[in-house]
Amino acid sequence: MKDTLRWAYALNQWNVRLDVFVRHEDQQRALKTVSACGFDTIELASGTGRWDNISRPEVILLNHGSHQGFLDFLRRAQVRGVSSVFWDPQAPTEEEEGYAFRSTANPADADAIVEWSKPFVDFVAGVGADQLVVRPVGSAWMTPPLDADGIKVVADVWNRIGERTAAAGIGLALHYDCLGAVHTHAELTGLLEATDPATVGFALDTAELTVGGIDPVAFYREHADRVTHVHLKDTRYADTGEEYRMPGAESTMLKGGAGRRIERWFYELGTEGGLVDVPGFVAALREHGYPGWVVVESDHGGNPAELAMLNSWYLQRVLGVAK
Amino acid sequence: MSDERAIKWSYMDHWRSNGPAGPVDQWHSHRTMSAFLKQIKAVGFDAIDTFDFRIWQMYGDYGGPAKYQEMVQDHGLERIVNTFHAADYDVRNYAPHLPETHENILEDFRVTMGRWSEIELDNIIVMPATLYYDMEPVTEDKLKYSAECWNKVGEITAGSGVRLTCHHEFFCGIQSEPDIDTFYSYTDPRYVSLFVDTAQHCIAGVDPVALYDRHAHRVSGFHFKDTRNVATGDDHRHRPDSEIMAPTTGKWFHEMGTDQGLVDFAAMMTAVRDNGYRGWISVEHDKANKEGGDYSESTAISRWYAKNVLEEIYR
Repeated sequence: MKDTLRWAYALNQWNVRLDVFVRHEDQQRALKTVSACGFDTIELASGTGRWDNISRPEVILLNHGSHQGFLDFLRRAQVRGVSSVFWDPQAPTEEEEGYAFRSTANPADADAIVEWSKPFVDFVAGVGADQLVVRPVGSAWMTPPLDADGIKVVADVWNRIGERTAAAGIGLALHYDCLGAVHTHAELTGLLEATDPATVGFALDTAELTVGGIDPVAFYREHADRVTHVHLKDTRYADTGEEYRMPGAESTMLKGGAGRRIERWFYELGTEGGLVDVPGFVAALREHGYPGWVVVESDHGGNPAELAMLNSWYLQRVLGVAK
Repeated sequence: MSDERAIKWSYMDHWRSNGPAGPVDQWHSHRTMSAFLKQIKAVGFDAIDTFDFRIWQMYGDYGGPAKYQEMVQDHGLERIVNTFHAADYDVRNYAPHLPETHENILEDFRVTMGRWSEIELDNIIVMPATLYYDMEPVTEDKLKYSAECWNKVGEITAGSGVRLTCHHEFFCGIQSEPDIDTFYSYTDPRYVSLFVDTAQHCIAGVDPVALYDRHAHRVSGFHFKDTRNVATGDDHRHRPDSEIMAPTTGKWFHEMGTDQGLVDFAAMMTAVRDNGYRGWISVEHDKANKEGGDYSESTAISRWYAKNVLEEIYR
């Protein structure tokens, strides 16, 4: 996309289970699709194990030999580079002590999580990406509500990792999701206030905030100086207030319909009944001279190629972005 | 994109998507049509081609070809470039090699051109012969009768400003290299053009680049698609048509740039350039959803190939 904003596309929806997005030719097809849609930069999401050869830094390097080898692989499809890598230290991975199930909310886990960040920091810097985007805390249903002290425990972990990312010359962006234990406007603001603005930024996901009951446009305007990364997608639904606390909310709410028969939460830009004011949000980014990446996602939406094409059409024809 | 390009890209109407109603094509609803047009435009196609039999849905669902074309244009595409006249050939009443059926064919085209008169088409595309098994043995007389039929049809379509152009499916009666050359020797270049389908010719064992070079002066368009298989044995003789029923191959067509593709697209695009062709190239990959394929992805990858490989040769 030829624009003053920097646009990228996330590959997460292509990699929906561990063994379906492994062959290099399948990955090339996804990369060419993204390229044909006008995006020359991608976001990667972390995974685990030998199948995650476009997700887990160590496995990517095993497959391609070096950071440059991976970039050469992307460039075969006319994808120039990587904007960012998403990492959730709460997600079980065999590389991180073999499914240790650690949490940033547990002070005893802090040292290990800081250490686990190393391959990601090295990889993000090695491929010339801008941001390590992270899930700052696990799901709300798994932990008691966080008070200010609890939020500080979480923030301290990210302040320590922020020192590492800053030293590596990259950014660290805390990504809000609608299931996280940092859920309300007050909790989110509290987390941002407890982190160092010099080294820790915020990854604003328009749909996740909307599902969580936070207006993304208003939140951006309040905290534009902290927003260093954006995920752009739409939703037709908002949490009624407590659904994120349903036991097993990943399955019962996001995949199971929250008892309301919601078949999917996340939608392409321009979807009928979308709750996100996408033009208003993008206008706000432009007003503030937002310098970071805007990553568009097909996340949990359906056919990833179809959604990438619909998102591209929306950017070109509704937002007026030149391809 | 600049209008100074020598080549523009059109997308031939084949599509399936999965939704709440199961697998549907784009004509299922206005919503699915809109999603189709958005995807075609998003990856850089300039226009669409369609089938004649869609005209009923254009009239029924959209108010006619002109109104439907307005919807196409509202999505950022230029227009409808070509229509494919998919006739249901029948040796009893509609067969180009049987002169006694010609009046029925001519009347069909008089009516058809009237139906399309609201918009400006470049080509009306036909398979110029019945299915192979209804025409064999293919004799010079049958080729001559067929040519006479299409000369007259071409005069009718020219009266509406539309070129009559022939598309040689591998399972039709005029598909071998000598039969194609004989057929064109009897047709009038003013009224009958050739529409080169890269995959169909490869499947029939005909080199599409050499064929194009020989007939370039009367080529009025292309279907750019690939195949991995050449027809063998009696692949071309199966009812209702061999694209579906040939015993050797479940999926004949693949998008441009596919691994193990038989079409030499670099040579084809070089020939297009060297023959000074200017205008539309249509892309298709009919039945792309077979054996796990996906129309959206195939369409994006086709356009990627056109942009990053073919336009490097000629644009």
